[in-house]
Amino acid sequence: MELTTSFIDLNALDVTYLLVVGFIAGLVSGFIGSGGAFVLTPAMMSMGVPGIIAVASNICHKFPKALVGAIKRAKYGQVDVKLGLITGVSAEAGVLYGAHIQEGIKRAFGDAGSNLYVSVAFVIVLGIVGSYVLLDALRLQRSGRASTEKVSPLALWVQSINIPGTMVYFKSLNARVSILFTIPLGFATGMLAATIAVGGFIGVPGMHYVLGAPSLMASATELVVAFVMGLGGTIKYAWSGLVDIRLAMIILAGSLFGIQLGAIGTTYVTPHVIKLVMGVIMVLVLFSRAIVIPVYLAELEILSPLHPHLATGLKNVSFIILIGALAAGAAIIFAALWRGIRLHRLELATPVPTAVSPSVAVPANPQLSPLGRFERFLVASDGSEYSMGAVRAAIGMAQKCGARVRVVSAIPGGNAELYAMGEQLVGRELDAARSHLDQVQKEADASGVACETEATQAGELHEEIIRQAERMQADLIIMGRRSRHGLARLMLGDVTAQVIGHAHCNVLVVPRISELVGRHFVVASDGSRFGDAAAAAACNLAKFCSTPVSVVSVTLPSHSDQRREEARLAVNRIASFMKKEGVVTETRLPEGRADAMIVDVAKERNSDLIIVGSHGRTGLERALLGSTTEKVLNQTPCAVLVVRSA
Amino acid sequence: MPNILSSATSKQMTKLIVYGVASLVLYVLLYLFEDEVLAFTEKGSWFFIIPVTAAFVFSFSHGNFTSHFWDVLGIKAKK
Repeated sequence: MELTTSFIDLNALDVTYLLVVGFIAGLVSGFIGSGGAFVLTPAMMSMGVPGIIAVASNICHKFPKALVGAIKRAKYGQVDVKLGLITGVSAEAGVLYGAHIQEGIKRAFGDAGSNLYVSVAFVIVLGIVGSYVLLDALRLQRSGRASTEKVSPLALWVQSINIPGTMVYFKSLNARVSILFTIPLGFATGMLAATIAVGGFIGVPGMHYVLGAPSLMASATELVVAFVMGLGGTIKYAWSGLVDIRLAMIILAGSLFGIQLGAIGTTYVTPHVIKLVMGVIMVLVLFSRAIVIPVYLAELEILSPLHPHLATGLKNVSFIILIGALAAGAAIIFAALWRGIRLHRLELATPVPTAVSPSVAVPANPQLSPLGRFERFLVASDGSEYSMGAVRAAIGMAQKCGARVRVVSAIPGGNAELYAMGEQLVGRELDAARSHLDQVQKEADASGVACETEATQAGELHEEIIRQAERMQADLIIMGRRSRHGLARLMLGDVTAQVIGHAHCNVLVVPRISELVGRHFVVASDGSRFGDAAAAAACNLAKFCSTPVSVVSVTLPSHSDQRREEARLAVNRIASFMKKEGVVTETRLPEGRADAMIVDVAKERNSDLIIVGSHGRTGLERALLGSTTEKVLNQTPCAVLVVRSA
Repeated sequence: MPNILSSATSKQMTKLIVYGVASLVLYVLLYLFEDEVLAFTEKGSWFFIIPVTAAFVFSFSHGNFTSHFWDVLGIKAKK
C-alpha cells in the first residue's frame, strides 16, 4: 500500500516519544518565541520518518502552536502584531528563497552538500548571534541590572533614520521605524527558517538588538512571525501531499501544554533569562552541528573517508547534544518558573502597608465657595506637547489663587498582566514620565508654587485621574487634550471627555497652544443650575485674576419670545451678582447654535478662558445627544473650564 | 493537590472538562479514521485544506484545554 511507503506506522512508544519531545519543544518556543522546532525533524527522522515528511509535519504542527502561543502572550500585552505581520510576510519571501537555494545545492552536491550547507549555516549564524546573546545575558546578570534593558546603539540609530513614505509606528519599539529595516530582517529570518528550521534565532535578536524591541516583546512577536511562516510552509507542503497529519497533531498535543507553560513562565522572569535560554540553546546547537561537519566533508570527498563507526558515532553525539540543548533550555525555564512562582507567592503572603492619602496642606487663605474654590489642583500630564499648556496654566493659576498643585503622569500599563509582559517598555515610559515631572517640579519651585508629582500606571487613564483627584479632594483637574472627531471619538473615546463626564470636581482643559493669563473670560449660561454653577466659579476666578467677564446666553432663532426673555433675565441676574462682587461684566444674547456663538464671543473678546456648566452626560447619552461643552472644546483655541454643579 | 483543585472555580473546571472532552474526541476520530485521513492528505493539491483546517480546529480545542489545565493547577501568569 502506497501509504506505508510515505507514512510510517506508529506505535505507543513513538507516540509517547513525540509527546515528550513536543512538550519540551513547546515549552522553549513559548518562552523564547522559537527554538523548539529544530529538534523535532531529526527526532522524527530517528523514528524512520522520511526527511521531507518530517519537515512537512513539523511545520504543520508549528503554525497552530505559534498561534496559540501568540494569543496567550498577546493577553499579557507582549505581542506587537503589526511588527509580527510585517516581518512575517517578508519572512515568507525569505523562506521561499531559502528553499530555492537549498534545492539548488542539493541538485548540485547531493544530500551531503545540502547537509554541509545547513551545518555551516548553523555554525556561522549561531556562532555569531548565539555567542553575542549569551554574553549579553551573562553581562546583564553580572552587572546586577538583570531586570533592565537598554536599547542598543544600533537600534537607536535605526530608530533615528527617517525615510519618508516607509515609516511605521511599532508599539514594541515605541518609535517609528522604516520598513526598509524590518523587511531585510524578516527576509533573513525566513531564509534561516528554510535552512535550519529556526528563523527565530535571527528574528528575536534582530528585533531586540537591531530594532530596539524589549526582549520579552521580541520573543512574543516572533510567534506571530512563526505563525505566518508556518502557515505558508504548511500550505506549500500539504499541496504536495507531504504532511503526515497524525505526526503533526501528536506533536501538537504535547507542545500546546509546553507553550502555555512557557508563556506563563515569561511573566515571572527578568529579561536576561530569555536571552540566557536562547544563548545556551544556540551555542549547544552550534556544537551539535559543528561535530558532524567532518562527516559531510568526508562524504563530499573533501576529507579522507572516516571509519563508519566514527561517522555514526559523531552523528549520534550530535543528536544527543541537540536533545541536550533543548533539555538545558527547558531546565533553565523550569528553574526560573519555580523560583518566580515561589517568590511571587511569598510576596502575596506579605502584608502590604495601607496606602496613605497624599498630603495636601491647608492653604493660607481658605476659600469657602464649594463651586468656585481653587485651592487644590490636580494636573494630569502625559509629558507630551499636548499637556504642556495644562502644566503652564496650572502653575500660573496656582500663583494667583495660592493653590497647591499635584502633577500626575499616568501611563497605560496598570493592568498587572500587561505590566508583567511589557515590563521594560513600561519601565522606559515611567522613566520618561519621571524625567518630565522633575522638569515640572523645577518650574513650580521657581514660580513659588507648592507642588508634588507622581508617575504612575493605570489600566484606564481617566479612572486613575479621577481616583487621584478624589484622594486629594481636588477642586480642579487640569489637563490637555488630544482631539478625536467623528467615529474615532465614538469608538476610542477620549480621556479628557471621559474625565469631564465622570469627575466630581471642575475640569479645566487647556489646549497645547493656549495661554491662560486672565485677559478676558466668557461664561455661558442656559439659565439652568448648571449655568449658575459656571457663573459662580467664573466670578471667583475673575476676582483672583481681576479679569473682565462676558456673560453669554444663546438662543435659537426658532425660540419663542418667552425663551428669549428667560435668557435675558438669566444673564442680567448673573451680571448683577458679579458686579456686586466687584467683577467687570458685560452681557451677550446672541442667536444661533450655542457652541458656535460661545466660541465666536470668546474670539471677538480675545478671551483666554470659556467657562461652561456640565450636564455630566456620558456614554451612549453623550454619543447620541452630543454635548455643547465638547463641541466648544473642539472648536476653540482657548482654555475651557467645565464646572460641575453640586 | 486537593487544595489546589478546590481553589479552581467550578466555571474553570467546566471549561477544562468541555475542551478536554472535545480534544479527546478529535484525537479518537483521528485514530479511528487514520487511513482515510492520510489517503486524502496524500493526494495533495486542494486537499491541503484538510491538514490546515485540522490544525486550526485542534489548536482551538486543545489550546483552550491546555490553558485551563495550567490554570486549574494554579500555575497562572504573575499578576
